[in-house]
Amino acid sequence: MDERSGSRLLRFWWLWAIIGVLIIVAAGILLTQRAALAAPEQPIEFSHNLHNEAGVQCLFCHSNPMRSDVAGIPSVERCVGCHGVIATDRSEVQVLLGYWERQEPIPWQRVTEMPDHVFFSHQPHLLSGVSCETCHGDVGQMAAVRPVRRMDMGWCLNCHLEQPEEKVARLADCLACHK
Amino acid sequence: MGLGSTIRNVVLEPFVQPPESELPGRATWFASTCRQCPAGCGITVRVINGRPRKIEGSPTHPLNRGKLCARGQAGLQLLYNPDRLRNAVRQNNGRGSREFEPMAWDVVLDLLTSSFQGLSSPEAVGFLGGLLPDHLHALVSVFLDAAGSPAPVLFDLHTALEGRTTAAALASRWFDADRLPIYDIANAEVVFSFGSNFLETWMSPVAQSVDYGTMRQGQLGGRGFLLQFEPRLSSTAASADEWMPVEPGTEGLIALGLGRIIVEENLGRSGSHREHSLMYRNVDVGAVADASGVSTEELLRLARIFTDVDRPVAIPGGYLASLPNGQPASDAVMALNVIMRRLGREGGVFLPQEVPAEAFSSPVPASSFSEVEELIERMQAGKVELLFIHSSNPIYDLPSWSGFQEALANVPTVISFSPFVDETAVQADWVLPDHTYLEGWGYQVVAPGADRPVMSSQQPVTIPLYDTRSTADVFLALADRLGGEIAAALPWTDEVAFIEDNTSQLLGSSIGVFDAPTPAGFWSRWRQNGGWWSQNSIRQEPEIARDLTQPLEVPKAEFDGDPEGFPFYLVPYEAILLSDGRGANQPWLQETPDPMTTARWNTWVELNPETAVHFGLTDNDLVRVISATGELTAPVVVYPGIRPDAVAIPTGQGHQDYGRYAEQRGANVMELIGPSHGTLNWGSTRVRLEPVGRSAKLARLESLDGEGRETVR
Repeated sequence: MDERSGSRLLRFWWLWAIIGVLIIVAAGILLTQRAALAAPEQPIEFSHNLHNEAGVQCLFCHSNPMRSDVAGIPSVERCVGCHGVIATDRSEVQVLLGYWERQEPIPWQRVTEMPDHVFFSHQPHLLSGVSCETCHGDVGQMAAVRPVRRMDMGWCLNCHLEQPEEKVARLADCLACHK
Repeated sequence: MGLGSTIRNVVLEPFVQPPESELPGRATWFASTCRQCPAGCGITVRVINGRPRKIEGSPTHPLNRGKLCARGQAGLQLLYNPDRLRNAVRQNNGRGSREFEPMAWDVVLDLLTSSFQGLSSPEAVGFLGGLLPDHLHALVSVFLDAAGSPAPVLFDLHTALEGRTTAAALASRWFDADRLPIYDIANAEVVFSFGSNFLETWMSPVAQSVDYGTMRQGQLGGRGFLLQFEPRLSSTAASADEWMPVEPGTEGLIALGLGRIIVEENLGRSGSHREHSLMYRNVDVGAVADASGVSTEELLRLARIFTDVDRPVAIPGGYLASLPNGQPASDAVMALNVIMRRLGREGGVFLPQEVPAEAFSSPVPASSFSEVEELIERMQAGKVELLFIHSSNPIYDLPSWSGFQEALANVPTVISFSPFVDETAVQADWVLPDHTYLEGWGYQVVAPGADRPVMSSQQPVTIPLYDTRSTADVFLALADRLGGEIAAALPWTDEVAFIEDNTSQLLGSSIGVFDAPTPAGFWSRWRQNGGWWSQNSIRQEPEIARDLTQPLEVPKAEFDGDPEGFPFYLVPYEAILLSDGRGANQPWLQETPDPMTTARWNTWVELNPETAVHFGLTDNDLVRVISATGELTAPVVVYPGIRPDAVAIPTGQGHQDYGRYAEQRGANVMELIGPSHGTLNWGSTRVRLEPVGRSAKLARLESLDGEGRETVR
């Protein structure tokens, strides 16, 4: 009897194989999805939260989204503009000052990324009244910045389709975003 | 979804100090001038985040009209080249040691000042320039003049390969002019090109290619006709209606024979040829036919092609100039334009119009080879104690018989301004790297090429990547330290002040495409436009200064090497991508296949199929090419577009130094060239062939690297 049930199980080996593969794939998806929305490790433990509480506006450091495609990561010079005198005794600020002394760029890890096959420009989004938080989440409350949205096509379209009727045709056009 | 693509680590490196008025994410376009060859094409460079990304032809520039060649496009690889010198250096263990030690610029200037002050006489200074920016030539000339030193000598292989000095001498003999003639290809109906590869590297190839397109597209109611005389089918000859591979050295004779027929038969529509007959009184058409192998009937046919239209033009090119009888042969070609009354006419011969400002009016003279020989003699005799070398690489360019390298050993202090460690920089004591042209200032008088006076301006499109310094600034700082008359002659604070001062002379010119109420306004428009040029086409008509009763004669060409021991004519030709070798450190240019053979990354020897069969050679077989002067070994390319008694080899490879992409690759054809004096007759050598019995696969477009691998590296 044991022999028979064993052979019956073996007869469906391919079913077990498929189930096994599915489990691995599902686990892979879950794990990588978590990793994709995790905060990457940065060369300096920079806290957006702290700067927000001190009253620093997003545009003070990321100064270009109203006039360019990219918001811009502040230059080391801009950081040192304040930190030449403010909180110079903190260990992370000293790491920053080390970069400045060596005249080295800081190798920040990118947090938010658009795929290569789309045009994306901050300028039209900001100029039509979209706030930073809409896409980037409440960065001001985060110690280490992490992505909060899966910036996929469905998510883009959800918003584009909710726009006033006369704009929808233009905003839903493939070539509005795709290269 | 998940799984991968989103979790990749991308590093975002912001600037430490951002360039002034930089807007991240937005491209800025700067107008400047290409300096990959002396033509002076206008470029616009796309710059993002302070870094140049792409070079294009400037659409408003009247010379290249928005077009740019492959060499111009590759200029970014000079800027970002990994083998650039990053600071001033000296050689620790003597010349040739290649052990470079960085020097601070103030130390450099102290040393320069003391070596200048320690000279036994100001006469003991030498300045050898190659493709020298015009502003630097002007500034250095003022410096040397004030110091009482000899004027700069200019030599580079490209200039020799395009026959610039022969063309200058031709203009001087015929028109008493100090500038090179322009041939109006765009409006010509028939072009007879005598060894001028005007669609590749000769003079102003981009402008000439645009003009050639105009000529072919029949904008004058008919498709223009091009006939090319040269022993090897070049890209230009391949674009021609007829290619005439006549016996090397007889091209001038053919021009003479054609002239004689035209005058004798009174061909053409330009009136009587009586006044020209004396020029041809010693010419025997039968003898021309015998010497050149072109029959009298064929000569008559060619003469009819040339004269049956209103606008023919004959162009004496670089290959013609390289022959032992280059000067008289060029005369015979120019005479065809004269007897057809093509001077100053649409589709004929013009002279570049002078730029209406004193600072730009006299063109930079091309030094004759005898001036180079004179400099070498002075060096050999120990009369040069301090030698400056800028944008010239004579150790690579000149055959060893010139004695340059031995003479250099007699110069106590040699200073190179090369941004790269080339063969000549290795033999220098100090290398004080200049900026590359995308980082530096300058200007160039565009001549020949455009149909109007053109000044092309050069401005930095990025801050210098390394601790290099503009050579003009080095000389200004040196003048300041030397004081006295030299400092008084050079009152400018820096190179920009010098250029700005010169450009202000154009302010208020009535013919310019722009003007401004103030010098500052003019200066900003000068940079914005990439130079200054006239609104309308202005061309100067050449006036004949030559006695037309003097008979023309083209002597038999005497080649180096007797025909029995050395049965083949050597036809070196300027590689369209590497040009005279200065492009060899740019991998895009190495990788781009030669348009006629598809070969790349190497030197090759082109043999006619008949010759190849005779020696039992085929593609990729190694062959030794031996002249009375030297020898080289390279793989064969069986090429039907060459005379059976000729062997063609491209220039540009065989570098011992000059960076990782150039070094130890191929062979330098200049090592084969036989001795000549007065002019560098690079086309006057005969060679013999010896099969080596091995083969080495040549990288070609269709065969990847010869072994099926991608050759991109």
